[in-house]
Amino acid sequence: MKVSFNELQGMGRKAFMGIGFDEGDAIDAAEMVAWMEAHGLGGAKALSRGLDYLLQEDPHEVPEILYQDADFSIIDAKNHSILGNASLGLELGYARARARGLSVTKIRNCHNRILVIGYLSRLARRGMNVTAFWRNAHDPLTEQVVGFKARHPVPEICVYSLTDVPDETEKNNGITLIMANHVDMLPSLRSDYELSNLMQQTENDLQRQRNQALIEGLEVDDQLWQTLKRLASRLLVEATADSRSGAGPGATDND
Amino acid sequence: MSAHQLDSTDYRLRPAHQVMQLKRLGSLHASRLSFTRSLVRQMAREDWTVKTVRFDLDSEGYGVVIYRLQTPHHRYHGVVFSQPLAPDERSDRVIAEAWDVTFALVEGDVEDSLLDQMAANVPLQEAGRQHPRLLVLSRANKSLRNFGHFVEALAAGHQPDPAWLTAVGYLYRTTAVYGNGKFGIADYARLQKNPDFNRPFSAQMFAVYLLRHYSVAQVEHLAREQSPETAVSLAPELQRYMGIGNSTGLGMAPFLINHPQLIQQWVYGRERALDFAQHHAATPQKRDQLLELLKRAHQHFIETRTEDAEQTQRNQETVGFIAQVIDWLERTQATPNLWNELQDWAEQYCSLETQELINTLLIELYPGLIDRMEDELGCEEILELQPEMTAQQLKQLIEERFAWALEYEPDNPDHNYWFWYRSAEKEEPRLGVRSEESGAEKEMQLAMGPRISRTWLLLSDFLERSPRGLVVEFLLAQPGQKECVRRIQTMGATPYGEIQANLWHRDMKPMHLLRTKLSFFGASRFDPKSDRWVRVTLFQGAPLFSELFSTHGTDQARLAMLDDWSFPVEPTLEGS
Repeated sequence: MKVSFNELQGMGRKAFMGIGFDEGDAIDAAEMVAWMEAHGLGGAKALSRGLDYLLQEDPHEVPEILYQDADFSIIDAKNHSILGNASLGLELGYARARARGLSVTKIRNCHNRILVIGYLSRLARRGMNVTAFWRNAHDPLTEQVVGFKARHPVPEICVYSLTDVPDETEKNNGITLIMANHVDMLPSLRSDYELSNLMQQTENDLQRQRNQALIEGLEVDDQLWQTLKRLASRLLVEATADSRSGAGPGATDND
Repeated sequence: MSAHQLDSTDYRLRPAHQVMQLKRLGSLHASRLSFTRSLVRQMAREDWTVKTVRFDLDSEGYGVVIYRLQTPHHRYHGVVFSQPLAPDERSDRVIAEAWDVTFALVEGDVEDSLLDQMAANVPLQEAGRQHPRLLVLSRANKSLRNFGHFVEALAAGHQPDPAWLTAVGYLYRTTAVYGNGKFGIADYARLQKNPDFNRPFSAQMFAVYLLRHYSVAQVEHLAREQSPETAVSLAPELQRYMGIGNSTGLGMAPFLINHPQLIQQWVYGRERALDFAQHHAATPQKRDQLLELLKRAHQHFIETRTEDAEQTQRNQETVGFIAQVIDWLERTQATPNLWNELQDWAEQYCSLETQELINTLLIELYPGLIDRMEDELGCEEILELQPEMTAQQLKQLIEERFAWALEYEPDNPDHNYWFWYRSAEKEEPRLGVRSEESGAEKEMQLAMGPRISRTWLLLSDFLERSPRGLVVEFLLAQPGQKECVRRIQTMGATPYGEIQANLWHRDMKPMHLLRTKLSFFGASRFDPKSDRWVRVTLFQGAPLFSELFSTHGTDQARLAMLDDWSFPVEPTLEGS
């Protein structure tokens, strides 16, 4: 079914609150999903994939800082979705970069990682250059790089696979982020290697998809929408005769 | 001179603790910066035209009507569906499921396939799925007594008594006017680069204005159907004196809290306009103009009727005070400092509604520069976190800018009396009494006073352990505070976004919230039905479509005359 951006964002927020997210996390999570969907990056699908796990997570469990100094932070998201308060790890990286010029942040053990792009757009909006890197899969080895220039509303994205798999086989279920205050670290995603490009999205591509979404609306799976509605209804209070009169109107509206 | 040059006088603006008191906000009147006034000026200046392209109403007035709007930039269509409605189904509540008319404003053309889709979904309103080319979705119910009287009078060949419109100023009242992506219609972002409707709520205002045009056409049609030999058209003075009603309840209240940056823009715009007006040196001509406006407002309030005892009293007070203001002004010479003297006097002797009426009328005196502010009432709404701020700075920010919130007493039952929640019935916002009703565990987070107070307490705790800690570190310890913290950080930079009231407080009147927003819309004839339900009228007194279009171009005198319709008074018909 077709929904508007505002609808997806609004329903998402209520659904995340229905799951038990705090208000700020619910707003951010909904914005991440809606932003991704509006830019043709499969936000709703990513949410669909992660929803079952999300429902089993404790939304109040806080990420753990494994290591931090003035420039580096390593955070354990405890196998939570990036949609939850794992985004605080990103804010830590941002604060470090603001103070030090550049920061490196590693968020370990999180899933639904692609949705992080939606959050990074807000960091870029605040004037930060952000580059994020992660490995999607091991066989074939797939890497994803996302680069936002400061104050640009959309990034460049590159997803590619490599035939040459390194010996190190430890699973990489984290995101590595480099944030730089004053310089644009990766102006474009060039490589001298022969990459099997799975996807390359330029800023223009993403902006065009956003404009198209504004005209046509967003296509969301019916079942996902019903699930979100059901989760959102957890916030509603059952009506009683008293509560009905508590809303206000007079005895008759016929005049 | 641009509107931005007013920024240098910000230090003269009224302080937030005065302006953002709920009672004062609840005493505001529509002004020349209200959205209805802006829209009419725009339509007149740009020669917008409206044509009826389809008029299929049966002998009982049911069917479909389609209007085409042409602006200098685009073409739109307004589609109105009218259907029978059983009396026991007629309700102004958001939980209603059927209405007398349902309508929509469409960007571009309405092809057959779109019309079919609309016919199947627009009458269902929230229960339908709407097309993304719809800019506005709305519905309205008849004022049955007015409607019946108007049809009868016109059919018999005479004009209805204008007093009917003074008592109830409309034939139709809307019960919701949706924009911004609701139920599948176009997102507001789509309008941001559209010069016709990029101002907040202007598309919705236009849809309401179009309904007014429709309501005249429908009663005239019914009169003709009833008595083709004797039926007459509605006199232009009565068409102008007719507005569109709006029925508003608690559904509107969350908006005032959830859009603080918009509220900041609206209030700031009005305060800057007021500052500009009051610091203008008064002249005898402007004093005379103010006297004319006061006399009209005086008559307007004498005529205004409401069943609500409290509002009646307020209106009576306003009438009394306006008479005193007129007397004072007639006795006082037009010295350059006259406006300041007037306001000082009013602050001492007059009610809040009268004080704000004077402010509204002062703004009325100076179009031109003030009107350019109407393009500054929108904004991008983003509450940004500043994780790098120190926790100490954040605490200081609360103490300096949100001291009102720290008046909250957690152990005082009166400070925790109400809770706001959404009902399972169409998600309608409602107020519950915390000590008596269930549901508080699901309450909506609207009471910013208690929330900010709690943030301050948690911050104080955190600072004892980490005196040099950053906000991001505070949030890692208290992640539930993220939304409140970024709101404090964002809204702390501007004065007028936060309504300085505890929305849980026993004495809190939701009506003040509703009136705040409605006054910015341009509503008049506030007619409370309780402390949380109100009827208002929009566009009463506004010029008609036929008067807006002109081949005389943008003649300033003509535009000024078309713009002068605030505080309308009952017309006297010729020959009556």
